[in-house]
Amino acid sequence: MTMKLLSFRVYTIMIFIFSSFVVQAQENEIPRLYAMNDEIFSDTVIQRSSHSNEYDRRIHSYRKAWNALIPTHTKLQYAGGMGLFSGGIGWDYGKRGQWETDILLGVIPRYSSKHFKFTLTLKQSYIPWSIYLCNNFNLEPLECGLYFNTVFSDKFWTKEPERYPQGYYGFSNRVRTHVFIGQRLKIDIPEKARFSSKSLTLFYEISTCDLYVVSAFRNSYLKPEDYLSLSLGMKFQIF
Amino acid sequence: MVRRIILLSLLTALTCTSCDMFEAHPYDVNITGERGVTEKNSQKIEKALNGKKEFKFAMISDTQRCYDETKDAVDAINKRGDIDFVLHGGDQSDFGATKEFIWMRDIMNGFVMSWFCVLGNHDCLGTGKEVYEKIYGNSDFAFTAGNVRVICLNTNAMEYDYSNPIPNFGFLKSELENLPSEIEKTIFLMHVKPKEFIFNNNVNDLFQWYINKFPGVQFCLYGHEHQLTVDDLFKDGILYYQCPSIKDRIYLVFTIKEDGYDYEVIKF
Repeated sequence: MTMKLLSFRVYTIMIFIFSSFVVQAQENEIPRLYAMNDEIFSDTVIQRSSHSNEYDRRIHSYRKAWNALIPTHTKLQYAGGMGLFSGGIGWDYGKRGQWETDILLGVIPRYSSKHFKFTLTLKQSYIPWSIYLCNNFNLEPLECGLYFNTVFSDKFWTKEPERYPQGYYGFSNRVRTHVFIGQRLKIDIPEKARFSSKSLTLFYEISTCDLYVVSAFRNSYLKPEDYLSLSLGMKFQIF
Repeated sequence: MVRRIILLSLLTALTCTSCDMFEAHPYDVNITGERGVTEKNSQKIEKALNGKKEFKFAMISDTQRCYDETKDAVDAINKRGDIDFVLHGGDQSDFGATKEFIWMRDIMNGFVMSWFCVLGNHDCLGTGKEVYEKIYGNSDFAFTAGNVRVICLNTNAMEYDYSNPIPNFGFLKSELENLPSEIEKTIFLMHVKPKEFIFNNNVNDLFQWYINKFPGVQFCLYGHEHQLTVDDLFKDGILYYQCPSIKDRIYLVFTIKEDGYDYEVIKF
């Protein structure tokens, strides 16, 4: 019994001594560890702050990306092969806002057909110059670009229906490609008078579509007024 | 400089607005100018050839995108002075766009004689059928030239679903039952011949059976394949004459005589 007790004490003492050694050893290492910890600590601080920065940055760029999708202007257009009237939203970008992309929804009246039709247009414009005329007036002497138009009607197809031999007609009667040139007059709205837009741009465009280009090719009978079409429009610059 | 630019822009804008250049869409079916062309020409020819048993007519076909050639053909045929009427074998448009029909109508309105145009398969594309029907009228029609009934048929079955009977046997039946008393001969005009894949080939024989029921069938005329051919398609003695595309600068002339007819191919 005494032996057991003794051996227990011995074990306890040995454990104590050993553990004190360990503690000592640890204590010996403490300054170094601290030094390391300092680094780690300071690193950690940086890491923590950079983590939150990363998050902020991501949120910032996330908002920026979605903000970039906020349309900068709206447009109304009369004629031009995209419906008698069409209207939609658009974005201007580039150093001087010289590029514009629009999505326009148009309506083709019934005329002599059975139904009226909706069309959708994706329009890309390039406006290289802007000339200051007098207060609030700027002339944009050239606007050019192209647009793709599609009609919502089951009479049209993008890819030929299966009943035809492959490539029989060789074109899509649903999607039209137009090219255009035009001119614009930009009128800045004075801050006091601003309601929902900061400037108004009036424009006209002369355009033609793929079908007419192909038709006019090698035909002197067709005159420019046959295959060119005119359109008028208004652009409201929101911001 | 600036003033000059403004003036120039205004001028361009004004010159353009003065023309009728505002277009809603290439397939908008916005028809300007003459309508009901077939009916007007039918009345004209029926009056002009009333009681006659001999006459001459020309045929052109597949004029799509050949505005210059078509204009030249109109001039050449007018210049001859011996043609009583002109038949067009269809495909006046290539894409079915509204303006294509208007351009062609305006060119062919230059014919001093009556002229008739059947519906081609290209004319059916998009809103083309609607434009054709508004400008010309029904796509199955017939008129009387002297003692001959000229029956013009829409045979573009591929461009229709079963809601429209193509070829229209109901129309053929009513023609057969209501033939004017002076009719002794019949001529058929169509865009696509039987046995061509656009034709409803399930009814080839039935179609020919109906054709044979008509009095004094002279021949059948068609276009579509852009070739100059003559075939006895059903080996029953009824010839099918194909008029080539106007691009080849060819028109056909048929002289209907009391006994038989003459057939000429004219290059212009």
